[in-house]
Amino acid sequence: MSATVDKTSGRRQESLPAAPIASKRRRRLGRQEGAAHVFMTPWLLGFVFVTAVPLFASLYLAFTDYNILYSPEFTGLENFRRMVDDYRFWDAVGVTIRYVVVSVPLQLAFALLLAVVLDRGISGLPFYRGGYYLPSLLGSSIAVSVLWREVFGHSGLINQVLGLFGIEGQSWLQNPTTALGTLIVLNVWTFGSPMVIFLAGLRQIPADLYEAAKVDGAGTWRQFLNITLPMLTPIIFFNLVLQTIGAFQTFNQAYIISGGTGGPLNSTLFYTLYIYQQGFVSFNMGYASALAWVLMLAIAIVTAIHFLLSKYWVHYGDD
Amino acid sequence: MGGAIGSAEPGGNTTMGKTDRRGFLKLTAAGAIGAASLTFGGRAATAQDQVTIRYGWWGGTERQQSYTAALEEFEAANPGIKIEKEFADYDAFQERMTTQMAAGDVPEIFWIASPQVLTYEKAGLYRQLDDIPTLDLSDFTEEILETIRINGTLNTMPNGVFVPVIRYNETFAQEDGVEIPTEDSGNWTWESFQQLLIDYTNDNANGRVGSTYNPTHDLTFEAYLRQRGEQLWTEDGQIGFTVDSLAEWFNWWETLREAGATLSVSEQEGVSPDWQLAGDKVLVNFNNSNHIIDDAKAFPDYTFKMRAMPVSEGAVEGHKYLYYPRMAIYQKIAEDKVEAAGSVVNYIINDASFVRTTGLTMGAPINPRVRQEAVEFASDDEKEMLRIVEADAAAQRNPRYEAPAGSNNWRTVMVRTAEEITLGGADIREASQRMIDEVAAEIERAR
Repeated sequence: MSATVDKTSGRRQESLPAAPIASKRRRRLGRQEGAAHVFMTPWLLGFVFVTAVPLFASLYLAFTDYNILYSPEFTGLENFRRMVDDYRFWDAVGVTIRYVVVSVPLQLAFALLLAVVLDRGISGLPFYRGGYYLPSLLGSSIAVSVLWREVFGHSGLINQVLGLFGIEGQSWLQNPTTALGTLIVLNVWTFGSPMVIFLAGLRQIPADLYEAAKVDGAGTWRQFLNITLPMLTPIIFFNLVLQTIGAFQTFNQAYIISGGTGGPLNSTLFYTLYIYQQGFVSFNMGYASALAWVLMLAIAIVTAIHFLLSKYWVHYGDD
Repeated sequence: MGGAIGSAEPGGNTTMGKTDRRGFLKLTAAGAIGAASLTFGGRAATAQDQVTIRYGWWGGTERQQSYTAALEEFEAANPGIKIEKEFADYDAFQERMTTQMAAGDVPEIFWIASPQVLTYEKAGLYRQLDDIPTLDLSDFTEEILETIRINGTLNTMPNGVFVPVIRYNETFAQEDGVEIPTEDSGNWTWESFQQLLIDYTNDNANGRVGSTYNPTHDLTFEAYLRQRGEQLWTEDGQIGFTVDSLAEWFNWWETLREAGATLSVSEQEGVSPDWQLAGDKVLVNFNNSNHIIDDAKAFPDYTFKMRAMPVSEGAVEGHKYLYYPRMAIYQKIAEDKVEAAGSVVNYIINDASFVRTTGLTMGAPINPRVRQEAVEFASDDEKEMLRIVEADAAAQRNPRYEAPAGSNNWRTVMVRTAEEITLGGADIREASQRMIDEVAAEIERAR
């Protein structure tokens, strides 16, 4: 132990030797680390038992014939071979791709448009923000599906409006040509979540950029194209990745509106709905697991492509 | 330390000093031990006195409430048995059963969806019933028991009886001056019925339509097949009908639809009709006999009656049949719970007070004595249902076989086939062949 004199107070201060200080710090850090682990334990347990174990179990089941009632029987790649000849698998793939390709860009465009409008400092902004966000919370609920029937059904709102012009409409939900479209509209309608993120992004764009552009004579449209869009590309990219993954996993809306059949004529047979049918209706849990892994791989590939292409169009501040 | 635990002194200070904190901890520990001993002691006492039976069933809100009330009445009368009620909507029930089966955590008594009867049987989920002393089968003749047995074993019990029917809106029929023939009128064939519906649609002054479009209704389809000497499923677990019969069934419906005598798929929102949308637009609906009870409530201004199915010329003898929704006792039930479970099943099938509380939404009671007793307290719609079931129960009936393993999705396939025909313009015979091939492939895969 050494002693020093405090120059300001003149008091003698005794300092602990370096080694005990380090050991005390280590003990304190050790205690903190222990506490951190304690707090992490519930999540870790949840991750291991609710996510990791079922994930790897489903990977194993993907290579088996398993109908829940009997032990899985290893069948190698049979489930994956079966997909090639399964026309409903291809129907489901087609429906899902059409849905992702059409609904995600439309939803993002709509969300961006509304965010730009709301960012203009209109009065009652919190009300509008909450109001527009609401459908995102309700989008996959039973209530909205019932509402959709009231809007797009045979005697629904749309057909009643058409009736005013002498046009007799058919149920949009029971027409194979339009049924998927109604679900795309439903997805676009739930634009609240990306809109809120766009709003946050718009608030981060420095106002002096717009002022400088105005001084240079740029109009609103030019400002949007040359300042807003480029500055928002990281946010657009974030929303694009998130919404694409979400769209691939769409289930509730199709399940409720088609009564779980994916009809009419498989026009709303989303991939996840087909997995559900195979797993929980036909008890083909092995095949359903294989389908689920194919979906996961597809999402991973599409996400990777997004990231690869992002370097060509996403501009970060430090570029 | 009395009263020192955290009690607020004037001025907001507490008296919980170091000594009191220790005392607090002691008291807390003592309290915890006391509470635990009370809790577990209480449970132990309860466990000694009571047997807990889980009962799984499905339906809508009304059925949930009425069955819960009936099961609570049973608990009140049998304090030694506690029933844990596991209710869900039909689809959710199937999903839950799937996971419960995978986990080996099936309720001691559970309802069985018709496509799964033999799937579960093959997996050994059912316990034998006729060796349970608390389950009284004395009201059941050997003939009745034989129709309930699966592969010669009494391991499920019907919790009701349905028959396929033509349900008609009697109010419409009277208003529009049309009479629905009875079975013994000699003029109740599929052809005459088809013509009646077309004529009704064309002639009634109220713009009403003859029927819903309903080729996917399984019970009436099965009645049609049995009249032709075919079955839905064969004894050895195969498809029991030919492409000819399936195609003719679809043809019968397409003739009606094209004549405008059924609602369109658009009007009824699907190839299977939504009764809420269709109920006040049509004269007749193809249905299960028990559905009149709930469906009539949706349109209280109208009176509904039922007729037996039309009969083909040259229909084979014994084509009538009774459809049994079934329940079972789980094979792996603990031995000390078997008698309690038997008591619950006994109450459901043998005690008229059960159906008095639940109503007859699950059809006529399987027990003939209870069926007779139920007439005394049944509503008008329920009496109509009991009448028509009783008539079919008295008829000669050929054996009926349950859906084999692997046929779980046959209804979904039939819906899609009907869509191909009505919406996709597919050739009826080709679509019928595809349906048979697809269902057969699934059955084969499950073998």
